[in-house]
Amino acid sequence: MLRRSRVFLIAFAIIVVATVAFAQTPAGRTPDLTGVWTTYRAPGGQAQGRGGARGAQPELPLRPEARGKVQEYQRLISGTGDTPGGYCLGTGMPGSMMGSGGYPMEIIQRPDQITIIYEAHNEIRRVYFGSRVIPEKDRLPERSGYSTGRWEGDTLVVETSKLNEQVDQRYPHSDQARIVERYTLSEEGGQKVLTAQMTMTDPAFYTAPVSETKKWSIVPNGFLMTYECNEPAWLRRLEELRAKSSQPTK
Amino acid sequence: MRTSSILLATVLIISRGIPSTAHHSAAAQDFTKRVEMQGVVKSWEIMNPHGKLVIQVSDTKGTRAIELETHSRNNVYRAGYRDGMIKAGDKIKVYIAPNRDGSDGGYLVAFETADGTKVGLDASQR
Repeated sequence: MLRRSRVFLIAFAIIVVATVAFAQTPAGRTPDLTGVWTTYRAPGGQAQGRGGARGAQPELPLRPEARGKVQEYQRLISGTGDTPGGYCLGTGMPGSMMGSGGYPMEIIQRPDQITIIYEAHNEIRRVYFGSRVIPEKDRLPERSGYSTGRWEGDTLVVETSKLNEQVDQRYPHSDQARIVERYTLSEEGGQKVLTAQMTMTDPAFYTAPVSETKKWSIVPNGFLMTYECNEPAWLRRLEELRAKSSQPTK
Repeated sequence: MRTSSILLATVLIISRGIPSTAHHSAAAQDFTKRVEMQGVVKSWEIMNPHGKLVIQVSDTKGTRAIELETHSRNNVYRAGYRDGMIKAGDKIKVYIAPNRDGSDGGYLVAFETADGTKVGLDASQR
């Protein structure tokens, strides 16, 4: 009887260990998202979603006050062609993750931090894990917020909060917004594909959560370019200073 | 000649994407239209968030400088532009999305240099 119990326990332990092992990637404990990614393009097809060819976009479930803020912003810029990017300002979350203007992004993965660099505007996000996560009271609000990560099996779950209120992007939001992204890796035609499913909850701005899914394709041996944007403004300033210094003193 | 026409057609097809709002609103230019112009390069600034090409043009309206905005430095490079390809004094053929208000200028979506090099810029990645 005792022997049968021991055999049962050993068998149970083997099953548990095997289940845990196979629930994650065989090479390491978690999938490796490191690499350069560009807007997903099906073989022979067009780029998908943000940054590529666009279809009609659904109406957002904005509260009246939030809609008023967005409309006020749109009236302000109407006819100017002005956008944050035109002033070298990054898109901010969730816009950066949903397309970043069609530019590529690079992911650098470490166990305690994932760094995401969007080529456009050299926008950078850092996703912290475990002991790298600082207390909420020590976080400053930003356009990209503060992001923490965890792994649920092979899915990377990123939670972002501490955002600035923003009405200058596709998904306007208040400073109370919370964004959850779920990243999964797959393979299509021998190429890695990264799928990001985003849900933003913001009771101050929305009557219901909003969601979007964005797919990225790996760029084998890809690289990002530096996105230098402020240099012309700096050179203009130097010209102004030169002109000023060449004026005769009274 | 036929190959050249096919290449140019490809360039124009590539450049007919739907403009994104990453850097600049599409409000000022009409991206459903293409206008071909020839001129001489007065200045060329390849920079972010947008490049700027000024060409000297002579047509029925007279001789004048026309300013064209274009893609970011990064996307112009990805489209095939390389350092030194456009210089002041060069002859150039440009394809633009014209200004909606009918004024001179527009958004540069493709160009052909004097030596026949063709570059098409995907308008979906402005």
